[in-house]
Amino acid sequence: MDGRDKPGHDVEDEAAALSLPRPLMTPLLFGLLVKAALYTVSISAISIAIGITLGLIVAAARASSTSLLSWPARVYVSFFRGVPLLVQLLLIYNLLPAIGINTPSVVAAISGLALCTSAYQAENLRGGFSSVPRGLLESAEMLGLTAWQQLVRIRAPIAFRLTLPAVVNEAILILKASSLVSVVGVVELTRMAQDLDTSLYKPIQLYSSAGLLYFLINRVVSSLGRLAERRMSWGRR
Amino acid sequence: MGAAVRFDYALILSRLPDILSALGVTIGVWIASLIGATAIGFGVAVARRFGPRPVDAVLLGYVELFRGTPFLVQLFLLYFGGPYAGLSLDALPAGLLALSVYGGAYFSEVFRAGFEAVPRGHVEAAECAGFSRGQIIRRILLPEMAVLVLPAGVNTAVSLLKDTAVLSVITVPELTLTVSALGTEFYAFVEALFLLALGYWGLVEIAAALGRIAEHRLARFRFSA
Amino acid sequence: MTSAISIRHVSKAFGQTEVLHGIDLEIPAGAATCVIGPSGSGKSTLLRCLAFLEEADSGVIEVFGDPLGFTEDASGRRARLPAAKVRAVRAGIGMVFQQFNLWPHMTALGNVSEALKQVRRLPRKEAEDRAMAQLRRIGLEARAGYYPSQLSGGQQQRVAIARALALEPKIMLFDEATASLDPELTGEVLNVMRDLAAEGMTMVIVTHEIGFAATVGKLIAFLDHGRVLLAGGPQQVFGKPRHPRIEQFLDTYLDRGAAMLV
Repeated sequence: MDGRDKPGHDVEDEAAALSLPRPLMTPLLFGLLVKAALYTVSISAISIAIGITLGLIVAAARASSTSLLSWPARVYVSFFRGVPLLVQLLLIYNLLPAIGINTPSVVAAISGLALCTSAYQAENLRGGFSSVPRGLLESAEMLGLTAWQQLVRIRAPIAFRLTLPAVVNEAILILKASSLVSVVGVVELTRMAQDLDTSLYKPIQLYSSAGLLYFLINRVVSSLGRLAERRMSWGRR
Repeated sequence: MGAAVRFDYALILSRLPDILSALGVTIGVWIASLIGATAIGFGVAVARRFGPRPVDAVLLGYVELFRGTPFLVQLFLLYFGGPYAGLSLDALPAGLLALSVYGGAYFSEVFRAGFEAVPRGHVEAAECAGFSRGQIIRRILLPEMAVLVLPAGVNTAVSLLKDTAVLSVITVPELTLTVSALGTEFYAFVEALFLLALGYWGLVEIAAALGRIAEHRLARFRFSA
Repeated sequence: MTSAISIRHVSKAFGQTEVLHGIDLEIPAGAATCVIGPSGSGKSTLLRCLAFLEEADSGVIEVFGDPLGFTEDASGRRARLPAAKVRAVRAGIGMVFQQFNLWPHMTALGNVSEALKQVRRLPRKEAEDRAMAQLRRIGLEARAGYYPSQLSGGQQQRVAIARALALEPKIMLFDEATASLDPELTGEVLNVMRDLAAEGMTMVIVTHEIGFAATVGKLIAFLDHGRVLLAGGPQQVFGKPRHPRIEQFLDTYLDRGAAMLV
């Protein structure tokens, strides 16, 4: 499913659906929505992955002692948290072609989502890293672990566990925020509902179904998050 | 397509009145929906805490639903779906209503956390002294809560400011719609959007700063860290 | 008797507050030295300086003749030693903390074997075998697969001791090792420390357990307001007639019913 679109593009192919007996139309439409929902999940997953990676880099820069690194990081975080996501998406969507980069709109969409979430993840991770108790690092130092070993073997795993709830939360926010990429022409769940509506005039059913699908996806992600938390509980409870 | 990114300030500034009126719409919508959202949120939080069990269950459904689905979908449902259910609204009222109901779900959680953060002991002491429900809420819970909910409340309020941009999709004449229209008109999309981004950035930083001042002022009423 | 650690006119201040005033102390090898004194006397700070977790502002600390962190020439000028040198000297020192500081995301076996794998670069099997041997030594091999959160405070501290011992240090430092434990649990940790002393390990023990210090310590150093008030054998420090300050200090312990002190 490519992001390039004509409104109602997919629906033309399903024009025959309109002449199907009514009982068959609903499952077909729902099937289209589910397909679009899966696309939403993929876009979100990619954005989350890139966002966490970027967020780690920004968090590290932010925590650095040199102001040459920490200051731009602070500005970055402030900007991407201060500008509405919709405006960020519109900006990237128009900026890329303007500087000569021609990509499908879904690339602009993922870039926008990833940049936005990276700022929030950077803040989450920052909190996590500083909450690792000093004593744990001191004992590592006394046992001879180098600074790098301390970071990788002690600090990172514990910080990750501490920030897990916030990271899962952010993942759910991205899933919801992905609905905005419909505005830059990516045919994900919200846009699919819109497109179907322009031909079928059933907004209540379509948008309710779309909402329900978003809700279910979020529920699943929450449960997965809780499962991960339990697996990383290291003997507690 | 704008090969070199130029900043046609003169062109944009010639339309300053339009931009200012759009800014007015954005701020107006924000304040109005903020009032609506805090009212709804507070009402829901009170009803859930002090009302009968079934009410709590129903309102929990409302909160989960409106926090668990995208705002854009809720907006579309109201604006495009409303007429099919007998509720025909213009863009601006629809946007206001949708934003208030959406924000209300979030504020209800903020207030709920605030209620629970007030130490039980304070409420119990008041109960023992013979205070009525209403008196406890007004004289004990509310004042103590005010300080505790402020940070989360400010965060939610600032989020709501950013969410006003989404109303541009149903053609409410706020900042995003107006400025991107200017961009189209002057064939300077990127410049216009960049200015738009800076504009929101500034608004959000100001709002956040005001919030911090308020928190600072109320800090002396905190009974503990 | 050779000196394991030589502490010469070490001073340390935190901001405006002077915590250590020119400490001079010789820690004997092969025996337990107990550092006691009232709260705020600088005991923990001194120990942390020996571990180089705090840096002394002036003075010299030598571990078996090797300077730790700084060298001082004849005219009193200090030179900072490179990090690699510090690490090398530290390699012979093991430390046990008041808060145990076990890593929560690793089992007991994981905690004890971690440094063997990362620092000594032993293959996994060998590291774990050695770690198990240490756990057996302190009687906790049955708990090897348990996480710290599943262990009692006393068990956690014993694992922490095993973790430090796994690297075969020549000196063991104990920073109020039993202060965070419930009274019933201090015994099991003190026993491990007692056994260690009996085996001839050089130990520097900062502790509130006066009875333990009197019976296990070969050298007792009493610190008061950042100075070594008195350092000597148990008879010297605790035997009557007592230094008035020490008498005052012990009174608070008798108040708390520490009848083990005669």
